[in-house]
Amino acid sequence: MIKSLRGVLRGYLFTIAGIAIGVAGIVALGAMAERIVRFIEGGDRFVLGQISVAGRGMGMGAGFTAGGLLPAAAIEAIRKVDGVAGVQPQVLLPLNPSTSQFMTLTQELVIGMDLSVPSPNRHYRTLPVQSGRFLRQGDRRKAVVGASFAAARALAPGSRLELEGQPYEVVGVLERMLTAPDRFVVVSIEDAREQWVSKDRLLRTVLASGGVALRAQDLNTGAAVGWRDSEDPDVVARRIRDQVAGVNVQIPSELSSLLRQSTAFFSALLVGLGLLAFVIGGLSLANTVAAAVFERIRDFGVKRALGATDWQLGREILAEALAVTLSGGALGVVIALALGLGIDGWARRSGQQLFLFSPRLLSGTLVFALLLGAAAAAYAALRIVRLSPAEAIRRGSAA
Amino acid sequence: MPPESVVTVRGLVKRFPAPSGPPIDVLAGADLEVRRGELVVVEGPSGSGKSTLLNVLGLLEDADAGEIRFGDRRVSELGRAAKSRERGRWLGFVFQSFLLLPALTALDNVLLAARYTTGVDAERRRRAMALLERFGVAERRDHHPAQMSGGEQQRVAFCRAVLNDPPLLLADEPTGNLDDVNGGAILAALRDRSRAGGAVIVVSHRPDAAQGADAVFTLRAGRLHRAGPLN
Repeated sequence: MIKSLRGVLRGYLFTIAGIAIGVAGIVALGAMAERIVRFIEGGDRFVLGQISVAGRGMGMGAGFTAGGLLPAAAIEAIRKVDGVAGVQPQVLLPLNPSTSQFMTLTQELVIGMDLSVPSPNRHYRTLPVQSGRFLRQGDRRKAVVGASFAAARALAPGSRLELEGQPYEVVGVLERMLTAPDRFVVVSIEDAREQWVSKDRLLRTVLASGGVALRAQDLNTGAAVGWRDSEDPDVVARRIRDQVAGVNVQIPSELSSLLRQSTAFFSALLVGLGLLAFVIGGLSLANTVAAAVFERIRDFGVKRALGATDWQLGREILAEALAVTLSGGALGVVIALALGLGIDGWARRSGQQLFLFSPRLLSGTLVFALLLGAAAAAYAALRIVRLSPAEAIRRGSAA
Repeated sequence: MPPESVVTVRGLVKRFPAPSGPPIDVLAGADLEVRRGELVVVEGPSGSGKSTLLNVLGLLEDADAGEIRFGDRRVSELGRAAKSRERGRWLGFVFQSFLLLPALTALDNVLLAARYTTGVDAERRRRAMALLERFGVAERRDHHPAQMSGGEQQRVAFCRAVLNDPPLLLADEPTGNLDDVNGGAILAALRDRSRAGGAVIVVSHRPDAAQGADAVFTLRAGRLHRAGPLN
């Protein structure tokens, strides 16, 4: 049986190669789509896990919300709003201020967290650490870096990192999340405030003038706000907007919708590419399998002459088609993996990952290929068994 | 034991559509009876319908009218699956172009005759090997058709045709692609087959094919006309 199957597979070598190329195309394009989907889903999950608040204004460095300075008094006022479960002051700064602040999802950010307050984000109570540890209250000049940030600079726990002319010790590297935190540098809020002052000439001028009474704890670009279990986050966000003066409040569902709108083009593009890959790859696979079956029309005519019934022949054709499709599919997956991992190895040097070979993609593609292979084989088999054995032999001999 | 009459054909008609005009009656009421132990040769000019006769007789193609009986069983009216089973039970085929499967070895090609009928067991393997030895191609058992000469391929095809010991052997120009030596060996094997009690129908152009035949028919205008026995 195994010997006969091996013989069949050898006879179908070009068919297997043809299927492998089609499946490799589907998997590679699918993996790129998966990568983008994970990125968008990650951002969505983050913004839906908290209410983001900034001071009113249009200044830079406000993180996920446009806005200005959020002083300690405003944070205190937010804490007192009914339904609020926790407020964590934050300082979010672009690592490189010359980069557009509108690209906050893809640019490198320094995030300063008030570690005395637990993270109120429901989906990210802690950021997952791959190596080393996360920051502890009282840590100064210590940083935890995202996976892409670390890869781009070859950082590991114990490495040194310079931020705004100050040396930092990397104490941890986050797991690759394939979303915004991969490009984060997390430091204590005190360190982030120092960096902010150092980066922002206007802020330095205001502070030096003494015209505005600002304490260190007033230097926040925003705050992450949590809500009590029974509360609707959108309702709590609107309550903050109504009850606290001088703040920009992002309603979580609106922010999620905004995020989706801003990535809608890429999502549509990827969905289109994925569908195209499935259609082209699928048609190529179905055509290859059907052609391979039709090529052996003479053999099937001979087998019927020797007494094979339609059922026996159909079963045989289907089994062969499934074996060939599975072999081609597995080979295609291996080719796509090798290609994707190779390209990702090169891209990782600049902190990028272009492919995500998720189990759902790989298993889904194989199941898709098998179903399509079986359907194509069934179609070809039905066409063949409708012919008389003599006609099948005639057509096969003429081909 | 099959009955005395192995195959009986009455009023066989087979039409093919013509590119223009009415369909062509390639068989127009052919009658034939072949008994156990008989070797029957069918002659006729090229295009006279000899191969069509064998295809219809062998249930490889449906007749438009007429009756075919294997023994006392009327098989021309059977459904596709039943016809397949009757082919496996009653018939062995030897084709002009051998029709061995290129992906299979010589031994596997011979065993193909058992795959869809009795199943391949140790006994069938032994019999297949014995046949390959008897016809001088045992050393080719693991070779694929492309690695064998035409004569060797036809001998393997003959082994396949007789593996199940079918009551009726149909040979369509079995020597058409062979030299005199190999052709002679195949004709001798067909004669041996009939002497051993099998019914054999041979379509052939070779004059020596008719030697030793129990009856020779000529196919003319879609009908079979008895021209012999020669001896």
